[in-house]
Amino acid sequence: MRTYVPTPEWIVLDWHHACIAAELLCIQRCTGCGRWRHPPRRFCPACQSDQATFEPVTGSGSVLSFAVSHRSLDPGWQAHAPYATLLVELDEGPRLLAATTTPPGEIRIGQRLAVRTEALSENFVLVWADPASHDEPTSMAPRARGNPHD
Amino acid sequence: MGTDLWGTTAIVGVGETDYVRGSDRHVCDLILDAAMDAITDAGLKPADINGIIPPPGYMSTEEIAAHLGVPDVAYHVSVLMGGASPTASLQTAAMAIAGGLADNVLVCMGWNGYSALRPKPDARPTKRVMNLGPMGETVRNHYAPYGLMSAAQHYSLYLRRYVETFGIPEDAAAAVAIACRNHAQLNSKALMRGAPLSRADYDAAPFIAEPLRKFDCCVETDCATAVVVTSLERARDLVHPAVVYLGGAEGHPEPADEIANRANLLELGIHRAAPRAFARAGVSPHDIDVLEIYDCFTYVVLLQLEALGYAEPGGAPAFVANGNIELGGRFPLNTHGGLLSQGHCWGLNHVVEATRQLRGTADAQVTDAELALVTGYGDLGDGSVAILGRDR
Repeated sequence: MRTYVPTPEWIVLDWHHACIAAELLCIQRCTGCGRWRHPPRRFCPACQSDQATFEPVTGSGSVLSFAVSHRSLDPGWQAHAPYATLLVELDEGPRLLAATTTPPGEIRIGQRLAVRTEALSENFVLVWADPASHDEPTSMAPRARGNPHD
Repeated sequence: MGTDLWGTTAIVGVGETDYVRGSDRHVCDLILDAAMDAITDAGLKPADINGIIPPPGYMSTEEIAAHLGVPDVAYHVSVLMGGASPTASLQTAAMAIAGGLADNVLVCMGWNGYSALRPKPDARPTKRVMNLGPMGETVRNHYAPYGLMSAAQHYSLYLRRYVETFGIPEDAAAAVAIACRNHAQLNSKALMRGAPLSRADYDAAPFIAEPLRKFDCCVETDCATAVVVTSLERARDLVHPAVVYLGGAEGHPEPADEIANRANLLELGIHRAAPRAFARAGVSPHDIDVLEIYDCFTYVVLLQLEALGYAEPGGAPAFVANGNIELGGRFPLNTHGGLLSQGHCWGLNHVVEATRQLRGTADAQVTDAELALVTGYGDLGDGSVAILGRDR
């Protein structure tokens, strides 16, 4: 069974397209004041500018919180239960959810993470995050790992 | 306007179906049965109703009016805050009445919360669904692709943070689950009547989404409830003692449409609604006799108790300990069994129970209850509060 892959629309779709084109995680940034924001919004909540671009981020962040699901309505995910979903705070500030290959028991709030993206369709990227290795640079490695939920 | 609004309207009729899993009734029949029960309970007829607040989905005001025989709807509005909707609807009903837009307002809720996902083999199909409102887009685009489909999973994102920040013990969650289950044993309509819950049962149950174990989660139910709101002046001429709507409020986290980017993950809508509601009602948390707290999940109850001022942040475990929230304790909580053990009717069943407590006719009656507080919680953390009191 395939894991659910949505076809987003509007500015959410623009965000996915930007990530797919860059092969990197991109985040919306206000042209007016430089503030990063996620999920994509029409107007900057700080300066109200509607001018913004999607720019690559460093891909470094940390675990703000995480869900550990022991059951899922999605058969693709259920096959991997229990699995963690990370609430990642990027170093740039915005937060987003990320899938992880790390077992739930090895995840801690505050843990440093490296984030990467995987295109699941022409219109959707899944964000992955795993603990940053001390032995390697924390640069992003797109497609470094297969999707364990295929 | 404020002084003309708060304390000038009252709940005069309540209705509810049974709380079951696998109802043979169509969802529309459930909603209409509860609505007619509430109108009849008030000693009114459908023709007396001229304001309607329908459920979030399933049925429109137009249909409800036509099936009940309400000839002249002067005002209606839909409130879309998920489980915070029914309790928030009371403030809207009161505004319509105090503003002269409507005289008698019907607020109703009902759904096939169990059967929609698990239809009986011989069930006739229905296309009627809930209106997911603002939550739908976020879940579809941002949460479900990560395997987070259910409310338990969404809320666990911040409940994990709550538990780890304050070291919230499972004892506290278990105390809420067991208090609700104990109260359900006394409620003639509770789904979980006859199924008591021990601490050992609680501990032995599997996790659904950490920190939520099975008995931290409410019970999906087929059911409907309704209330009728009118002016206090008219209420005094009706059959039951008036239950006065003293004050209420709604509140939304920022941003309300997603969880991850809130400055404080633990600041919910009710943190903003609660001070507004107490100020409007002119009462303080310790004046309240009965708490009917929206209990989709036990830990969400703990957070709400803190937001209401019953404990400092992280202090709810002491508040719910030692029988304080049991019948006979200082703050009996969810005396009908709540969503956890009576059934899940989006918190309108909490309003029904609070009304009965203040009439003195509850199955698990709190002695001399004069003030009751109801909360609603829904979508991704919207909140609502209603403070109800006996007349005079």
